[in-house]
Amino acid sequence: MKASARLVVERDSAGRSVVRELRSMSPLTLVPRRSLLANATGPALVHLVSSATAPLGGDDLELSVLVGPGAHLRLHGVAATLALPGHRPGGSRMTLHLQVADGGRLEYLPEPTVVTARADHHAELCADLAGDARLRCREVLVLGRSGERPGRLRSDIRLTRDGDPLLRQRLDVGDPTLDSTPAHLAGHRVLATELLVWGADPAEPVSGDWWSLAPLARGGSLATVLADDTVAADRMLRTALAAHPGLDKAEAGTADGVTRVAGIA
Amino acid sequence: MDVLEVTGAAAVLSLADSRFPGGGHVHSGGLEEAVARGLATDERQLASFLYGRLRTAGELAAVFAAAATHAARQRADRKTWIELDVELDARTPSPAQREASRAQGRGTARAGRAAWPNPVLDDLLAVTPRPHHPVTVGALVGIAGGTPRQAALSVTYLSVSGPASAAVRLLGLDPFGVNAVVVSLSPEMERIAAEAAEQAELPATELPAPNAPALDLFAEAHDRIHREEVRLFAS
Repeated sequence: MKASARLVVERDSAGRSVVRELRSMSPLTLVPRRSLLANATGPALVHLVSSATAPLGGDDLELSVLVGPGAHLRLHGVAATLALPGHRPGGSRMTLHLQVADGGRLEYLPEPTVVTARADHHAELCADLAGDARLRCREVLVLGRSGERPGRLRSDIRLTRDGDPLLRQRLDVGDPTLDSTPAHLAGHRVLATELLVWGADPAEPVSGDWWSLAPLARGGSLATVLADDTVAADRMLRTALAAHPGLDKAEAGTADGVTRVAGIA
Repeated sequence: MDVLEVTGAAAVLSLADSRFPGGGHVHSGGLEEAVARGLATDERQLASFLYGRLRTAGELAAVFAAAATHAARQRADRKTWIELDVELDARTPSPAQREASRAQGRGTARAGRAAWPNPVLDDLLAVTPRPHHPVTVGALVGIAGGTPRQAALSVTYLSVSGPASAAVRLLGLDPFGVNAVVVSLSPEMERIAAEAAEQAELPATELPAPNAPALDLFAEAHDRIHREEVRLFAS
């Protein structure tokens, strides 16, 4: 299956973030969830729903998201993504292009991706920010369903601001020899990362045994967590995010009973 | 091509020598933290740690060293050195690892300036007085007449030889056994170096960016604990 979806959010003359363009293409279905009663100046809320079993081997999916000057978009997933093997060779591919204009804000908080047995998936994220645009981008990878050996997944992240590279990473999981080494995943089943270009970065890195929040060299910061299950990953990711000076308690998921870190439970 | 059959071979041997005065001996590449957590306590676990390090940090060092050698051989302008510096920073999210790389790059550049004085090295150091280690090694190999593949092989070897000798000091492992573990990784080192050399002419933005989450976490934890209690190694 080859699919390309597109979402454009802009700020209107009244200061509201509105969805200007929304083009779904199965299996990438975009569902705007903005309530009429919501705070008029709050973010536009869109859910990304998979309307078919995807990604399967042979799938090539692409989602482009543009956030205009001063606009705010929160893009959520509603269910875990299962990377599955398909009948066609060549693996599956999901490419996400994010563009945020000066003064715009984009939160991309999908549910975890589970790398099932014999999957061969390539996830690519390209994000371009302009000026003081803000971005939060989470990725939670689960190696196999319970008791299952994972297939292969390659994740590529490329983040630039005004053309300057802030973060470039390639992560390969599902190679049993590499996953088990103490240097790579040290035998953990869940890897959670959150990339933040969201106001001030921490002046110093903050870390625990299996999590860290590290300021990048040229702006932005990266939270990294290795855990044995998604509950522990959720807890450590919240701890890491709580140390980020740009996030308030609700945004970090540490306000009592209000917000959990979406996507992981 | 045999690694010793072109000019620059002695430079390559010198740069990969543990006695090269670049300050590499104070770094364990995350091994001390792995040892402190009980994750690398015997030869078998050490072999696994080194293999994971080679496939990630080793590959990253290899592609930047190879690209720097190519740049030095082309008498690259300062813009090229800035691009390599910025792109390697973007591929090193851990501040502790950036610091370890720049500390060793600085030490290597000082020793290199005495051994291979050259305007190309002056240009690199004008861009940053503390260049990343693989970029520095790559530039020096290029200045000495060596090839991208030689530079890649040097840093690939260093990515495991440093932690291996740290293991002997931290764990009291049998030096013969540890040396045999390093040698057993030779085919993988040579494969990574050859692939890095093939990509040496790519623009810096397109160079591979392999990452190792556990090494990032070890580097940060080591740095945090190092401030509170004495550790044998700086990283």
